[in-house]
Amino acid sequence: MYRTKAVIASTHRREFLRKASALALAASPLGQAMASDTDEGLTFAAGPRPLVSYPGKRPLILVHGRPPHLETPFTVFNEGPITPNDAFFVRYHLADFPHTIAPDTYRLLVKGAVSKVLSLSLDELKTMPGQTELVAVNQCSGNSRGYSSPRVFGAQLGNGAMGNARWTGVSLKAVLERAGVQAGARHVTFNGLDKPVMASTPDFRKSLDIEHALSPEPLLAWAMNGEDLPFLNGYPLKLIVPGYFGTYWVKHLAEIEVIDHAFTGHDAYFMSQGYRLPDNDCLCVAPGTAAAKTRPISTLPVRSFLTSVTAGGVLPAGQMVELKGLAFDSGAGLKTVDVSIDGARSWRKATLGSDLGRFSFREWRLPVAFERKGPASVMVRATNRQGEVQPMKADWNPGGYRRRVVETTSITIA
Amino acid sequence: MPTFVTLTLGRSALLASAISLAATVATAAGITLPPDSSTLRPSTLPGYALAQQKCGICHSADYISHQPPGLDQAQWTAEMGKMQHSYGAPLDRDEIALIGAYLAVAYGSATASDTRVTSLTASWEAAQLARDSKPAGGGDAVDVQALLTANACLGCHALQQAVVGPAFSAVAAKYRGDATASALLANSIRQGGVGKWGQVAMPPMAHLGDDQIRALAAFVLKQ
Repeated sequence: MYRTKAVIASTHRREFLRKASALALAASPLGQAMASDTDEGLTFAAGPRPLVSYPGKRPLILVHGRPPHLETPFTVFNEGPITPNDAFFVRYHLADFPHTIAPDTYRLLVKGAVSKVLSLSLDELKTMPGQTELVAVNQCSGNSRGYSSPRVFGAQLGNGAMGNARWTGVSLKAVLERAGVQAGARHVTFNGLDKPVMASTPDFRKSLDIEHALSPEPLLAWAMNGEDLPFLNGYPLKLIVPGYFGTYWVKHLAEIEVIDHAFTGHDAYFMSQGYRLPDNDCLCVAPGTAAAKTRPISTLPVRSFLTSVTAGGVLPAGQMVELKGLAFDSGAGLKTVDVSIDGARSWRKATLGSDLGRFSFREWRLPVAFERKGPASVMVRATNRQGEVQPMKADWNPGGYRRRVVETTSITIA
Repeated sequence: MPTFVTLTLGRSALLASAISLAATVATAAGITLPPDSSTLRPSTLPGYALAQQKCGICHSADYISHQPPGLDQAQWTAEMGKMQHSYGAPLDRDEIALIGAYLAVAYGSATASDTRVTSLTASWEAAQLARDSKPAGGGDAVDVQALLTANACLGCHALQQAVVGPAFSAVAAKYRGDATASALLANSIRQGGVGKWGQVAMPPMAHLGDDQIRALAAFVLKQ
C-alpha cells in the first residue's frame, strides 16, 4: 500500500541474491551457511531490516536505531563458541545515556542497607579481593520473539540476540561484603548510567534477591574476551548474572543499592511490570491469552541451534557432511544434544565440544549423510543434566519471551 | 547507511600500572552514534502528525516499522495505551486513538476507509473546526504552559539544559539581537528540522495556529 519503489527493488535484489547464492552453494562440494539474510525468516510491518555499522561493531542487523538495538547475524555463531566483541548484540531501553565515559572519574556507588557506603573507582574494583573470570551466555529475554505465534509487539528478534563471552571482573559478593550487608537486607537493586528521556518514563533498574546477590556467580565485569567492554555493551562495568536472561545484565553499572523492603515504585517498572512470565509451571498460557498472574523472568531454558547451515541452505546428497551447532542452559550443564534428519522419527547423539564452563555455549558436531535429493530438515534437541529437555512444540507467553522449542532448519539436498 | 564511527577506548589501569606510572592515564571512552534516518510512513490521517511529534521523543520510527505486519487497529491502539500508562508518553485518550488508527492503517491491517478510522478523523476535524472558529483576539490569550504540555515540548527541551533538543535558553542566546529571530523560530516550530542542534529531528508542529506558534517562539526567545 505504501510500499515504495526502493523497497520493491530491494526485495527483488534480495530474491536474486538468495537464488544466486543457492546456486553457488549447490555447486560447491560442501554445504555451508548461506549469505546473511537480515530477515532471519521473519516479516516486518515495513521491513526488511538493514545491516548497520555502530561504534565498535561490525555490521549488525538493525532492530532499532534510537536507543540502539542491534542483532547478531546468525552466521556469526558458526565461527566458534565465543562471540566476538564486535559481533555481540546490543540492547538499550532508554535513549538518554552518556556517549562519553571517563574511566578515571567513573565511580560505582554501593549504598542502602550496608554498614559502609562505598564509592569505588575502576582501579579499586580491579585490585580488590574477589577477582574472577568465567564464560557465560548473555541471551536477551526476547531472543527469537519474532517467531512467536501469534506474534506479539516488541523487538522482533530472530535468534541473534544472544552471545557468549569470557567475562573478567570482581564478584558481586565481594563488593557487597566490603560494604557490609546489614541484617534484614532483602534485595539488591542495580542502576546504570542510562536514563529515560522523560521523567514520566521509568528508569531501567533491576533487582536480585539478596541470596542470589551473595551467591558465588554474579560478577561486575570490566572486560569481555580480554578487552575493555565495548561501549555499547556497557563500558566500563556490567553486571553479569550467569544463567539468567540478559535483562539483569545492567550496562554502564553505576549504582548498587541494598534494600530491606520489596523493590517497588515507578523505577521498579522493569521488575514489577516488564519482563514477566505467566506464574505457572510451564511459564506459558494458551496462545493469544493473558496471564492471570505473573512473575519476573529469571533463568535460561535449555536451547540448541544448528549453525553450520541456515534455513534455505543446501547440502550435498550421498556424502558425509558434518553438522555443527551450539547448545546451552542455565548452568546445570548439558547432558546430550540429539539431532534428527528424518522429521523426529529417529535421533542421533551429537559429540559435544570442549567444556568452557557450565554457563557457556557448548559446541556439538555430528557427521551425517543425506541419501535423497530434495527438501530436508534438521532438528536439534538438547537435554541438560537435570533432565530438562527442549519441547517439540513451542509454548507461548504474552511478552514473547524465553523461546525454547526444538529448532527445525529447512534445507535442500542437492 | 549510517557512517561508521571508530570507538576509542581508554587503556586500562592495568597497563598503566604495568609501566609503573604513578597516576592512571586513561582517557575517556566515547562514541558517536549514527544519525537516525528512520521515518514514519506519510499519511493524511491526523494521527500521522501526532505520531511524528510524540513517538520520536523517546525512540526512532523503526520501533514501529519493525513490528510484525498485519496487526489491527485494536492492537495498535492498545499498544499506544501501553506507551502512555507504562512508559509515560504524553498522550491523551483521543491522541491514543488517533495514533492507533494511523499506525494500523500505515503498518497494520486497517484501511483508511474503515468506519472506525473515518469516524475518528471526523470527530477530530470537528474539534479542529470548533477550535479555529473561536472568536479571535482579546479574551482568548494563548496559554503557553498548556501548549508546552499538550505538545510534549518538554519531553525534549528544558529551559536551561539540553535534553534531546537544545535548552530554550540556548536557542534564545543563539538568536539574541537577530531581528528575524521570531520569524525564524516560528518557522522552525512549524516545519520542524534537523541538523542545527543535533541529529535527533524536531517534529513539525504544523497543526498549531499562527498565534500559538508566535506565542511559543516569543516564550522561547525570552529565556
